[in-house]
Amino acid sequence: MTVCSALLSHYRRHPLQLLALALMIVLATMLWTGVSHLTDHARASLAQSEQAIAGQQQLVREDGQAVSVQDFAYLRRQGLCVMPWLEVQRPPPEGRVIGVDPFASACFGSDAPGQARVDALNGEPFLDIAEAKAMVRQGSNGDLSLLVPVDVEADAVPADYRLKDFSMGPATGELGESFLLNLDALGVLVLLITALLVRSVYQLGLVQRRESFTLLRRFGVPATRVQVLLLIEMVALTSVWVIPGIWLGRLLAEILGGGFGQVLESLFDAPLYAVDGGGFVLPALVMVTVVLLACFADKRLLRRLPWLSGRPSVVWFGVPVLGLGLAMVAWPFTLGWLFVGIALVFVAVGLLTPRVLSYVAQWGAEGAGAITLWQRRELAVLFRRLALPVVALQFAVAMVLAIQALVTTFEDTFERWLGQRLEAEFYVEVPEQSAAVDGVRYLAGLSGVGDWHLVQRGKTHVVPEMAGDDAATSVEVDLFSISPIGPLVTGWTLLDAIPDAWEKLATGQGVMVNEQLARRQGYQPGETIGFTLGEQSLALPVVGVYADYGRPDGEILVAGQILPETFNTRFQSLSLNPGTLAMAEIEQGLAAVWNTDQLTVRDNGSIRSLASGVFDQTFLITRAITVLTLVLAGTSLLIMGWVFFTTRAWYYRLLFVWGLSPREVAGQLRWLAMFLTGAVAVAALPLGVWLTWALVSRINPLAFGWSLPMAVYPGFWLEMLVLCLVIGLAISVLMRRQLGAGVPAPAMANVAGGGER
Amino acid sequence: MVASLLTARDLNKQFRSGNQPVSVFRNLSLQLDRGESLALVGRSGSGKSTLLNILCGLEKPDTGSVQVLDEVFEGGTDRQTEARWANLRRQQIGVVFQEANLMPALSLLDNVRLRARLAGQNEDDCRDWLERLGIGELAGRYPDQVSGGQRQRAALAMVFAMKPALILADEPTGSLDRHTAEDVTGQLFDLQARHGCGLILATHDAELATRCSHHLDLGHLPET
Repeated sequence: MTVCSALLSHYRRHPLQLLALALMIVLATMLWTGVSHLTDHARASLAQSEQAIAGQQQLVREDGQAVSVQDFAYLRRQGLCVMPWLEVQRPPPEGRVIGVDPFASACFGSDAPGQARVDALNGEPFLDIAEAKAMVRQGSNGDLSLLVPVDVEADAVPADYRLKDFSMGPATGELGESFLLNLDALGVLVLLITALLVRSVYQLGLVQRRESFTLLRRFGVPATRVQVLLLIEMVALTSVWVIPGIWLGRLLAEILGGGFGQVLESLFDAPLYAVDGGGFVLPALVMVTVVLLACFADKRLLRRLPWLSGRPSVVWFGVPVLGLGLAMVAWPFTLGWLFVGIALVFVAVGLLTPRVLSYVAQWGAEGAGAITLWQRRELAVLFRRLALPVVALQFAVAMVLAIQALVTTFEDTFERWLGQRLEAEFYVEVPEQSAAVDGVRYLAGLSGVGDWHLVQRGKTHVVPEMAGDDAATSVEVDLFSISPIGPLVTGWTLLDAIPDAWEKLATGQGVMVNEQLARRQGYQPGETIGFTLGEQSLALPVVGVYADYGRPDGEILVAGQILPETFNTRFQSLSLNPGTLAMAEIEQGLAAVWNTDQLTVRDNGSIRSLASGVFDQTFLITRAITVLTLVLAGTSLLIMGWVFFTTRAWYYRLLFVWGLSPREVAGQLRWLAMFLTGAVAVAALPLGVWLTWALVSRINPLAFGWSLPMAVYPGFWLEMLVLCLVIGLAISVLMRRQLGAGVPAPAMANVAGGGER
Repeated sequence: MVASLLTARDLNKQFRSGNQPVSVFRNLSLQLDRGESLALVGRSGSGKSTLLNILCGLEKPDTGSVQVLDEVFEGGTDRQTEARWANLRRQQIGVVFQEANLMPALSLLDNVRLRARLAGQNEDDCRDWLERLGIGELAGRYPDQVSGGQRQRAALAMVFAMKPALILADEPTGSLDRHTAEDVTGQLFDLQARHGCGLILATHDAELATRCSHHLDLGHLPET
């Protein structure tokens, strides 16, 4: 028998263990591949969605009239690539559909909006334009647009027409980017858990094969040869089993991502989520590397780390590192500085946690009775000897706590973001060449209409303490004017404000600035800023800072009454709730006062529901994967805990020999295991809360210039604690079964040696 | 009539090796009174450890009965039987294995205290027992900080601190050098005689066996 066959004979005797190892590799690969695919595609989807929104343009008539089929025919005859886009708003729950002409879209090539669905025309949401027309004839609202490719220049457009941006939905902007950080963090977490999973099963195997290794050494086989053979064994096993893992991971990504993609496409009318093939080589290489690191890194590297050898000096090393890391995160200069600070905190926590928990476990035990003393000492040993899985579970729970808080906060923020941007049920664009004041006068005299206001947008320059126009220090920002200031805006979240801020804004006694501008310029409520409105220069106090949820540009909000006639308004619209009136009636009235046939009216409600759909699906996926990851992290600790408890089984059996009943021994095991895992959950809590704070209050502002509100969810903390206790309970049940199987052979003296003090 | 300390009647024990039943011992009976010692001798695998385990309730015989003091056990694996055995082991039966008799997370003194506490004895005597066995100065050390002989002395201290009626020792000196082994067994017999408890000693060592008042040779290999 060769050394190789002697090693492999273990799996002949324990085929289930080989199966468990294979299963762990497959599951770990599946999980990581699935998450990394989802993250990649979510990032690509959001990027494409922004491109889809930003990249489209349409042709409109110079006279303000709505475009018609005749316009389409005329423009095509002029040789222009034009595509009809008939948006039909059906009553809920059917919602919006878009009629397109597949033949007309051919000249767009692969860039045609909704191209992926144009071919199928399955009505979700694209259908043939003839069917869409039929819906309009049956009474649904229809809005025809004529899209042209983005490369069409203004001088190529026939007279009587002009180019105009074509927006198909709200841009997610920085909110989406920020959310991707969340997914990236999840990817790192999954990789960590993956490594732990494989390591736990591998260690279980090593424990069971220890006697075989001892025999081989006695037979003269060098330890290095055994190591090399074990390495080859793991490479071979991993190489075989990652393949189905990758395939299953992609399947998982497709299943979870399908719904996500569908909603994205519905919202942005573009093929945004296509899970492509991708290669097998990169995921396979990553997984083999992770597996080898997880199984063999401690042979050379981790063994040298003081936290594994349990030297007391780790406290003297860990405390300053923790202080340094916390300080670096509290006062970050750059994003890189911040990440180094976070890494230092994690390293220090990893070093200190086992020691601190061990100390706490023994604290005050000296005066206790013999059994209590044993319990506390044994627990202290467990914390030190299980340092790696304890710290890993602590990190996993902390990251899950942080991600959960982030996801929930994102959900809440996104809701408020939508609420702010789509505050009214409808908005109506004021046609160019028309006077907004006519519409305002019409609405003011209309009985039964709900809340409404006029929005006027333009540009302005602000200077902190204006002593005359100082162009060198002025900053160009967006100007956002609302009149009248009413219930549609007074519900906005103000991050900071002076008393009666809305009243002061409404009466022109102050301005508000968005979070981005306040952060960049350091504006505080009460501080006077100067700004220009056309020819006019004003100096007014900041009365409030409003949350803007990731809008990257600075903005100043003023009451419409202070806008001078000379102000260059770039865009005007009316936001309104129809109240007791039908929207069609208001639309007709406004069309009449503005002397136009067709108004651009957007149904904010349907946009809101579509946008919510996208994020709901994304949050659902993140939660599902987070829970799955946590369950696997728990399994990892369960297996590693079980492995370690197994090495001490003889000593727990001694309790039985010394006269404790099986029930009493089981009780002791239960106490130890549940206290161990419960303490891990408790230790993870401050780290998780701190990580949440670091993500929302430090990373986000530095990376994107805005911050999410910090929120904590004690209910979820409780769930984590219960989960950890269940893991501990499971360990004790497994151990009880193990002890009941018969008198185990005593562990070798060197196995129990070290780490006991 | 005063009952014996230990009486075993018609004990039978079989294992299965593959599909083959292997008989460890058949119709084995023995009796031990206070102050007596019994050496179990025999080749490896002859069933010495199995018999010791049966005599303290760690394993169950296939048939037969065991009586320790006034507790009689005739088969049965119910919770009440287990509790009766556990109570006997806690207070009346001291068990010493070849090695690993101590909790590694406790000092030698704390190990002795734990055993005494479980037996309901006074913890104040524990340091004395370590002194008597010559390892008093090592009381604060942990098992992995002392030699194998010192660990076995500590194990004996634990047994005597519980003031047992019966000591079961399974090759207690098997892992020790001859000089240390003689020293440890000398103390074992000395203390056993002084305290008048029963001693059953499983050993390969014929010379050691001669120091016991009775012998039981399980010398044959198990029969298939």
